Amino acid sequence: MKKIAFKTLGCRLNQFETDSIVSQFHHGDYEIVDFSEVADVYVVNTCTVTKQGDSRSRQAVNFANRKNPDSLMVVTGCMVNNHMDNSQNLQDVTYFVKNEQKSSIFHIVESHLGGEMIIPSDLKPDTFNYSPADKTMHTRSMIKIQDGCDNFCTFCIVPKVRGRAVSRPPHDIMENIRKVLDFGFKEIILTGVNIGRYDSQDWNFEKLLESIVEISGDFRVRISSIEPDGYGDRFIELLQHPKVTPHLHLCLQSGSDRILLQMKRMYTSSEYRNIIDKIKREIPDFNFTTDIMVGFPGETEKDFQQTVSMVEEIGFSHVHTFKYSIRNGTRAARMEDQIRGNVKSDRSEIIRKLAEENKLTYRRTFIGKDQRVLIEKINRKGIAKGYGQHYIPVEFPANSYSRNDFAEVQIKEINRGKEPVLVGVV
Amino acid sequence: MNLRDHKIYRIQEIRELTESAFILRFDRHGLNFMAGQHILIGLEGSSELREYSVYSGEKDDFLEILVKEVETGMVSKQLKKLKVGDPVQVESAVGFFRINKEDIDKKLLFIASGTGIAPFHSFIKSYPGINHTLLHGIRYSHEAYESESYEDFRYISCVSKDQKGVFKGRVTDYLKQNRIEENTLVYLCGNSDMILECKDLLEEQGISNESIYTEVYF
Ligand SMILES: Cc1cc2nc3c(=O)[nH]c(=O)nc-3n(C[C@H](O)[C@H](O)[C@H](O)COP(=O)(O)OP(=O)(O)OC[C@H]3O[C@@H](n4cnc5c(N)ncnc54)[C@H](O)[C@@H]3O)c2cc1C
Repeated sequence: MKKIAFKTLGCRLNQFETDSIVSQFHHGDYEIVDFSEVADVYVVNTCTVTKQGDSRSRQAVNFANRKNPDSLMVVTGCMVNNHMDNSQNLQDVTYFVKNEQKSSIFHIVESHLGGEMIIPSDLKPDTFNYSPADKTMHTRSMIKIQDGCDNFCTFCIVPKVRGRAVSRPPHDIMENIRKVLDFGFKEIILTGVNIGRYDSQDWNFEKLLESIVEISGDFRVRISSIEPDGYGDRFIELLQHPKVTPHLHLCLQSGSDRILLQMKRMYTSSEYRNIIDKIKREIPDFNFTTDIMVGFPGETEKDFQQTVSMVEEIGFSHVHTFKYSIRNGTRAARMEDQIRGNVKSDRSEIIRKLAEENKLTYRRTFIGKDQRVLIEKINRKGIAKGYGQHYIPVEFPANSYSRNDFAEVQIKEINRGKEPVLVGVV
Repeated sequence: MNLRDHKIYRIQEIRELTESAFILRFDRHGLNFMAGQHILIGLEGSSELREYSVYSGEKDDFLEILVKEVETGMVSKQLKKLKVGDPVQVESAVGFFRINKEDIDKKLLFIASGTGIAPFHSFIKSYPGINHTLLHGIRYSHEAYESESYEDFRYISCVSKDQKGVFKGRVTDYLKQNRIEENTLVYLCGNSDMILECKDLLEEQGISNESIYTEVYF
């Protein structure tokens, strides 16, 4: 039996796509091993959104090559789409597979091992040809509803590497969801690059969400990362539906209107606040997480302070902080006044510390309250771990509960590790 | 997949407007767009493409863009050197700077700086009869690109460096001196400093953010 190992860098969409590919190999004649082990086949699903993404992707390929120089090495994902030329500098890669052929990796590997070399770019492109991931891997099932982006934010390479926005037909999505619910999944995560701009056959994101929550059964829907534009009040109403989890990763990027304009984001800081206020008015303990980019060209201390104030004021429970890095081919790469690396690091550290405090403060508010936890695993000591509806990690004695059960947990305290975890009892 | 498709278009006509500004016309090639959207253009085979708002109307059988050569730039300089018959690569139209169907009968205020007038030219050509006023911020009156194509009473050039504008001063000065009617939808296009200043002034006048749409060129 051939051993195969996977490494995924970057976003949820990449994770979803890897999971689906892993499942195909799982059903085939392969042993899936950890990436740190010696394998016959390595698949690295790369990221190019930041310089760090590029370098981590390269490191992963080089690492695998050192582990087994004779392995079949498949490199896929956004780094391949972004710079085929640079990716070619990587040593001993058997196949570079662009995003549009990524779903064919199983076929490429199988053919190779059967003695046939396929040229990946000759394969028919397909963005949505991913079967649902295996239930043995996760208790949550990601559903890809959309790919690509037309927003053209000035810093962002995504429109180049993922292409123009395209939405998966609603009936395919509904069928996919019914299928994963039949498999026994109890949580689905709607995934894409810019899901708020979902647009297919006259269905917008609200209409899609509305139809999803109408499906019968005991499951919940998580809206992963979403841009703060492109949807209306109906969306806020839908967030109050019992099947929709009270959590959004609502990308802010900056608290400065000047910088938001230069980034070509489609909202102002006050429009962003308005969305938060509207949601909080209806669901006061709603969980907001966000992305912040520090060191965008021309970001002054004043601009940065506006971001800090907003992070403080909104009290995001988690902030993914990015240091701006030049992505060739984007408008921001051509902007004057690029910010020095040490300034970016300092600003990033300020946001990181603030975000950590916010996280603890927010999570503490759950002590004494209930969380409906979907159990992801139960350790040897009988402690169940999973996430509550607000997307906060919770631990509790499992008692008679099993993996993939929902449990009503009363939160008693908070475990103050690097990642504060709520501790409770059923 | 949603690949970004490039097509080769040939220049049909060039209209020089000033020493640095010009209009390029191409065959439409069936390209679909909504007024206000932009296309990406670059030299044939080049990976350097830039965004240009479509200048022509939705129903025109040709495609036009209005370009200003930027001294320190690259693609605008390349486009300036092109001759009739030369090829360029064009990527399909994209963008959300559009007039929503339900807003078409409302009172509209368009504010442009320089070549930022391009999408407004397209709005006005595409939707005849819209109730609009167009403020055009330029430094010199000869930069009032094809101003004769607009109805006199709707086009207000705001000229900052000579005395020949309909209004003498910047668009921001105009906003300071003139009240914008409530319920007006405002569309701003051009450089980001102008847009930011105008937004502040509009907000002071009680125009809410939801009634303001922006397209930043640089
Ligand atoms: C959505 C969108 C639509 C656009 N539509 C148009 C259009 O219809 N007509 C048009 O001429 N330009 C338009 N632009 C700007 C255009 O894309 C190019 O940036 C511009 O032509 C300069 O290109 P370049 O390669 O020569 O220089 P770049 O490398 O793109 O820019 C060099 C520098 O010039 C400055 N700059 C960019 N554009 C201008 C300008 N128009 N006037 C003065 N300084 C400028 C910027 O500060 C930049 O740092 C648009 C930009 C965007 C984002």
